[in-house]
Amino acid sequence: MSEKGFRAATSAPAIFVLVCIGAGSVLGSYPQYALAMSLVAMVIGVALIVLVGLARCISLASGSIMAIGAYTSTLLMVHFDVQYAVSIALAMVAGAAAGWLIALPGTRFRGHNLAMVTLVFQSVCIILLREAKTITGGAEGIHVPAVGIFGWRIDTDGDFLLVIGLVSALIILCLTVLIRGPFGKNLQAVASNEVAAEAYGIGIPDYLAAAFVISSIAIALAGALAAPRIRILDPDSFGVLSSIFMLAYPIVGGMHSVWGGILGGGGLRSLPEVLRPVADYQELFFASLVILVVMFFPGGLVELVRRTSALVVRGRGQRDRKSAAAAYPPDVMIFAAPHAQSSEPLLCVEGVDKHFGALHAVDAASLEVPIGGIHGLIGPNGAGKTSLFNIISGFLAADAGKIAFAGDSLLKLRPRDRIRFGITRTFQHVAVFGQLSCLDNVVIGLGRNQVLNSMRESLDRFLSGRRTAVMRRQALAALAAVGLADDADLTAATLSLGNQRLLEIARAMVSEPKLILLDEPASGISEQEGEHLLKLLLRINSERNIAMLVIEHNIPFIAKLCRTMSVMGAGRIVAQGRPADVISLPVVRRLYFGEEIEHALQR
Amino acid sequence: MLAELGLVLIAGLKFGSIYALAALGLVVVHKATKTVNFAHGAFAMLGAFATFLIVVHWQWRYWTAYLVIPLLIGAVAALLEFVVLRPLRRADLFTVVVATIFLGIALAEAFRLTYNTELLAVPGLFAGQPFFVGGIFITREALWVITGTLATALACIVVFRHGKIGRGMRAMASNVTGAQLCGYSIDRVYMLAWFLGGALAGLAGVFIAPIAGVSVELSIAIITAGFVAGVIGGFDSLTGAILGGLLLGVAESLAAAYVSSAMKNCISFLLLFIVLMWRPQGLFPERTGRRV
Repeated sequence: MSEKGFRAATSAPAIFVLVCIGAGSVLGSYPQYALAMSLVAMVIGVALIVLVGLARCISLASGSIMAIGAYTSTLLMVHFDVQYAVSIALAMVAGAAAGWLIALPGTRFRGHNLAMVTLVFQSVCIILLREAKTITGGAEGIHVPAVGIFGWRIDTDGDFLLVIGLVSALIILCLTVLIRGPFGKNLQAVASNEVAAEAYGIGIPDYLAAAFVISSIAIALAGALAAPRIRILDPDSFGVLSSIFMLAYPIVGGMHSVWGGILGGGGLRSLPEVLRPVADYQELFFASLVILVVMFFPGGLVELVRRTSALVVRGRGQRDRKSAAAAYPPDVMIFAAPHAQSSEPLLCVEGVDKHFGALHAVDAASLEVPIGGIHGLIGPNGAGKTSLFNIISGFLAADAGKIAFAGDSLLKLRPRDRIRFGITRTFQHVAVFGQLSCLDNVVIGLGRNQVLNSMRESLDRFLSGRRTAVMRRQALAALAAVGLADDADLTAATLSLGNQRLLEIARAMVSEPKLILLDEPASGISEQEGEHLLKLLLRINSERNIAMLVIEHNIPFIAKLCRTMSVMGAGRIVAQGRPADVISLPVVRRLYFGEEIEHALQR
Repeated sequence: MLAELGLVLIAGLKFGSIYALAALGLVVVHKATKTVNFAHGAFAMLGAFATFLIVVHWQWRYWTAYLVIPLLIGAVAALLEFVVLRPLRRADLFTVVVATIFLGIALAEAFRLTYNTELLAVPGLFAGQPFFVGGIFITREALWVITGTLATALACIVVFRHGKIGRGMRAMASNVTGAQLCGYSIDRVYMLAWFLGGALAGLAGVFIAPIAGVSVELSIAIITAGFVAGVIGGFDSLTGAILGGLLLGVAESLAAAYVSSAMKNCISFLLLFIVLMWRPQGLFPERTGRRV
């Protein structure tokens, strides 16, 4: 998609809200009220796209966050005579604080535990609101005073529609910029593969905390906007049930796009107005609807609309859509002349030890990878190869030993910090970000994925798109280098296993690291793909001077690939040297074939 | 002073043993399927509602409730597993949790629509004089609830430890593929787990109906209490669930008696928070020591 198209698509939801205000201005008073409340629900829906849709956190605390917004704004106006506009801003601050408070324990849990932790927060909030009678009015509720902005008294339903609509459009625009930009992509990466996300510098707790804080700010704002229309705030109207129904917004609407929040929030909030004659059955209908969507239509309303429109304009889309490759012609890669292998060590592992209970997984292992060299690591299953790998890439802490990289010690660094030092890795079980496009997968590989950075880049993408264009071009060049340029727009999950491995390699090399750790790159792929992979790795190594440490079971493959290799057995390095020499050593044969066969061979 | 403490403790144990039963059902389902059934509270609520129907509406004998309801609610749970959860077998944890949350809401709402009242009262089982043991009054009801639930819970543990059913579920929980290769049918084991979980929830409902009455709120009260009890005990431990339930009941009762009724509501959340932050494996985790 071109930058102009991206900007238009990103502004579209906010423009839709503005159109709603325009259409609402000709309506009667009650429809205006209903429309304003639907806009509030859309804000909540889009906010939950961030938290529930992209980060896949089940939050049952939305009701209490909305209460925090509504009560903060109202109590400030009642007790301190604060201006409405100022009280809304402070409600957002309170929302941010509440989101952060949930995130403190929340980022440590997933699934049902997280749902329960948020339910705890929800219940405690409602109990506090009910018990603090002197401040909040307790269970009977509190009257929201008349409001105004800069001397203009907001009075009629039309006025409220205008104010609520304008503020909603603004916050929805902000959320859309984040959701569609690198921030949203990285959140999806966290949800689809935490280990790979961590390896590419995405700090998972930071991102989840950011998702909680951002969605809470927007929901608190929605609460503050709605408060004057609710007229009397009481704790029970923000109870667990309201949280659960808000959870339904992104699920029914569609989890991965802003339109899901708009359709889900707007649709579900205005449905009761339509279903007024059967209002009693509303909740049952909602709950059943969610179950049906989850079971039969996980894409939600957005997917439904997309499929219907695809039926209508079949064939036209194909011609109109420009592929990423066409939109961002890749840089021509200019490589330095092939480097001669240096003898200076890049990675130096010395006496590394690791115990799992009584199991001595890694036993005083030492190895070296020279600058620009390729070092192989072989050994039978359970020899401790992957444990050693995980120690080098930071996913496991060593019990003892030293790891130096270009002279610096690596031991204190978190996995996500190692990419900045120039170390990337691939995984034994392919770990691509399945929901993202190949291009976005590789863009993540560029690093620079700290939360604030990705937010800044989301904004940049919307405003100028210059930095994005540079990054995309780099990513496309890496995709082209592994032969996946034509698949740039495809979702990674749709690739074959062999291509997913290539994608992982593109992601690992795009940041031009000094060292790539490859964990069984050739396992599970065909012989032909293996040949291709071998040539590719050798080319990356020689053209870009990237050193590699490779675990592999495929002996012919690794013998052709690496210049030096180590053999591991029962946690210990048992042999080291040139492939041809090492493989013929009796100790290595014994490791692989066992003692008796060794005797039989000698006889 | 001491007598009052005794009363508070007995009341705590009474609620606690019902929580234990609810938690046990939750843990049995979790052990076999690796997911928490958020509709569990609604099953208990249905059990309490069925008690109302049997005892008050149809005027059957009380003991029939203890016999019929666990089977009935177990069957309902197994049916819902078949209809809603089986199609989601390949879905991720997120989807399954969301499905059970809304399943619980749908059940609670269905109940609210059939009997649109705030609270249905169910008479107690015993009316006789309380016992007087060592200076403490124990009502017949408290004695029955505590012994009845704990006996059921212990029977459950024995079945799970030594029966063929339990072996299948444990196998499923530790390795789905491996268990299937060994001839355990995933569909049958999951359905059985939901049946057992539903039966335990239904029984918890029968026990709590005369104490708390029947209301929509019961659904969320039971799921939170059961979940917290499960977390306190260590979610995969059956004995842990029972101890966790008793601990929670006593803590709530103490908080209500000596602090405030608001504290009674907060205490379970405080406990949950503390345990999840400092001891996520629970206070009484099952020993899974590996001999190396």
